[in-house]
Amino acid sequence: MNLLITIIKSDYLQRTRSYAFLITLCASLAIAYTFVPATDAGYSTIRISDYVGVYNSVWFGYVTAIMTSIFLSLIGFYLVNSGIKTDYDTKVGQIIATTNIKNFTYLIAKALSNFLVLLTIFLMVGIMSVTLFFVYNAGYPFEPLQFIKPYALITIPALFVISIVAVLFEVFLLKYSTLQNIGYFFLFSILMVYNPKTESDYSLDVFGSKIIMHQLEERVREITNSEEEMAMNIGFSIGNHHETKTFEFTGIEFPTSFIVSRLLWMALGIVLLFLSAPLFHRFNLKEKPFKKNKAVINLQSNSVKTIRISRLPSPLVNFSVFPLIKAECLLLFRNSKKWLWIVTIIGVVLLAVLPIKVTHQIVLPVLWFLQVSRLSSLTTKESMYNVHYFGFTSYKPLSRLLTSQIFAGYLLMLVLALPLLIRLIIISDYVSVGAVILGALFIVLLAATLGILTRAKKLFEVLFFMITYANINGLSIVDYYGGFEHHSFYLIQLIAFIILLGSISILMRKSQLEK
Amino acid sequence: MRLEIQNVSKRYSKNKYGLKDFSITIEKGILGLLGPNGAGKSTLLKMIATVNKPTTGIISLNKNSIIKDPNYMRKQLGFLPQDFGVYPNLNAYEFLEYIAAMKGIGGKNLKPRIAQLLEGLNLIDAAKKPIGSYSGGMKQRVGIAQVLLNDPKIVLFDEPTVGLDPEERVRFRNLISDLSNDCIVILSSHIVSDIDTIADTVAIMKNGQLVSYGNQDDIVQNVHGKVFETTIEKEDLAAFKTKHIVVSTSRKNNKLVIRFITDTSNAIAAPKEANLEDAYLYVTKTN
Repeated sequence: MNLLITIIKSDYLQRTRSYAFLITLCASLAIAYTFVPATDAGYSTIRISDYVGVYNSVWFGYVTAIMTSIFLSLIGFYLVNSGIKTDYDTKVGQIIATTNIKNFTYLIAKALSNFLVLLTIFLMVGIMSVTLFFVYNAGYPFEPLQFIKPYALITIPALFVISIVAVLFEVFLLKYSTLQNIGYFFLFSILMVYNPKTESDYSLDVFGSKIIMHQLEERVREITNSEEEMAMNIGFSIGNHHETKTFEFTGIEFPTSFIVSRLLWMALGIVLLFLSAPLFHRFNLKEKPFKKNKAVINLQSNSVKTIRISRLPSPLVNFSVFPLIKAECLLLFRNSKKWLWIVTIIGVVLLAVLPIKVTHQIVLPVLWFLQVSRLSSLTTKESMYNVHYFGFTSYKPLSRLLTSQIFAGYLLMLVLALPLLIRLIIISDYVSVGAVILGALFIVLLAATLGILTRAKKLFEVLFFMITYANINGLSIVDYYGGFEHHSFYLIQLIAFIILLGSISILMRKSQLEK
Repeated sequence: MRLEIQNVSKRYSKNKYGLKDFSITIEKGILGLLGPNGAGKSTLLKMIATVNKPTTGIISLNKNSIIKDPNYMRKQLGFLPQDFGVYPNLNAYEFLEYIAAMKGIGGKNLKPRIAQLLEGLNLIDAAKKPIGSYSGGMKQRVGIAQVLLNDPKIVLFDEPTVGLDPEERVRFRNLISDLSNDCIVILSSHIVSDIDTIADTVAIMKNGQLVSYGNQDDIVQNVHGKVFETTIEKEDLAAFKTKHIVVSTSRKNNKLVIRFITDTSNAIAAPKEANLEDAYLYVTKTN
């Protein structure tokens, strides 16, 4: 038991003692701030037809529990799905593999460490929710139990299951991080569209939020004496503020079957982990990317050759940025598996043949999201591969290296969007052409800025995932590529964001170089 | 070529210094930088290489401050860091072309230069294979090749022989000697044998400070008449170590032959000729 606690503690400390985690925590707090909108805010998060609850403890507790459950189930996976990979990359895994630790002990320690990381974020979100309750002060008493109950029955079990799912993905797909990301994306989408019909069906809802949503709907039906299905909005919906009516939500009594199901989900997770333990690779993985060279090359010198430095051909000074752009393009090209290229090519073909609205709204953001690993490594790869000494001591690293990295990423995004751009030009939709061209630059600059800021890939990957998910679900506020109808200042707004991100990335990199 | 380091300090916290009031002037030739782990060798090299900036002090190359104008140094620098990495998906050719692009060099001579460097460093057979499949020694040689891409005038090697086999070490020493004809080479190591055969001058560092600097003969002179050899019983070793600086021990007839340094004259032990390793140990253990 002591061994387990020690591993969990060390792993937890290793993950949380990073600048990237601090940034993630701040971002979570900022998002938590929006979960229960101020009374005069122009958006809503949970809305049943025209109704939202009065700001009592019950509404705060249940709304923040649902929103946290969905939010952390969505991004939580991406935050914690590299615990084993870190051990593999840092070669600590090789040391672990030679100890007498059992596979199951190691995996459960990783899952519990994941859980602790998510709980830390959840704790911050919870504190923010209680703070907001007092800040908005709608005149209702503070009832801690109305926060604790939904958190304990909805959010915490969901986070536990996510922690285990993340470990399971790493057990079977350690070296295929893109496949993990896309696989979870589909798993999450399937789980979210699951629609329980009976009380017992609610037990099958992993995230546990459906039962509350159903009860909210029932409550509004009672008030309105309506038999019709209520329009339920979960997420960030803009507008309709003036039509909002309020109702008092008094909470729900969770059926015993639902409470038991939460425990069963958690137990199922542990069982799955136990069953997967014998299949755990224990860091003995084939070096797939270099399978042509089965063994590590170690050339034995046959004779001592000498280099006469003075006789080497003299290179010319060439401070042009183009050789660097070419090299950065090569790095982008090499930074993925063959199957991802095949999927990307299919996506490009779909851009050329599917109806233009579908390609613009769905195919383009998904195709660009497939490049997430390439984009997230644009400005982080030096640190990731420890090549920063070469990069940062090169001639004018800010104006040459950073520019070439951004330009190479931008070029990739434009090339992928080319079929759509040509089609938009043919139909003379120049506003959309402008939006796609600016959108590509926006997302590349977002990747570069977050990479420089956090020195890690994670934050951009999670954010890009959320933006893409929201766009596919028609949330036009995060549309960065002109897929939806917008006001006339949309392009100007995009340009302003681009200038802002460009400036931040340059200033941050400059500051890093000077330090 | 003149590299001046004047009163340079690197402070990490109130009482913690990576480097403290360090001054040295280096001209053409090879400077061997010796010191135990944590002495500040890498900190110094990173500041010369413009990776880090000093908290106080001046570093200038040919009277140009490289703190104010780091690009002046970068244009003529070749730097091999201690813990560098490579892009594993690129092959050696591609990686060196990438570094060349960063350094701002090109032209038709670049490819043959890379080819000759790879040939000379015994990497040509593996040059088209991903660097991720290379052994540690081969990666180190790729690192050495990138140093020489741009005809550097300032060459900094931080622990360059790590991972190299004895034959490669010989090749490296030959290469360094050829390099030193018209540029400044600073070679950092805590292994004295890496330094003693090739360095023109030696600087010994300890706790972020320069404790000895000069040509090898001058430094060795510090321990002249203080190095002895004697034979003792194995069980007496611990007590012996409390009184003298032990340089080396070897077994002979179930006893220990000890080479040691002492400030007091020793009638029982046999005097020995001092070398750089003796001087290095004496300076770092006594200062």
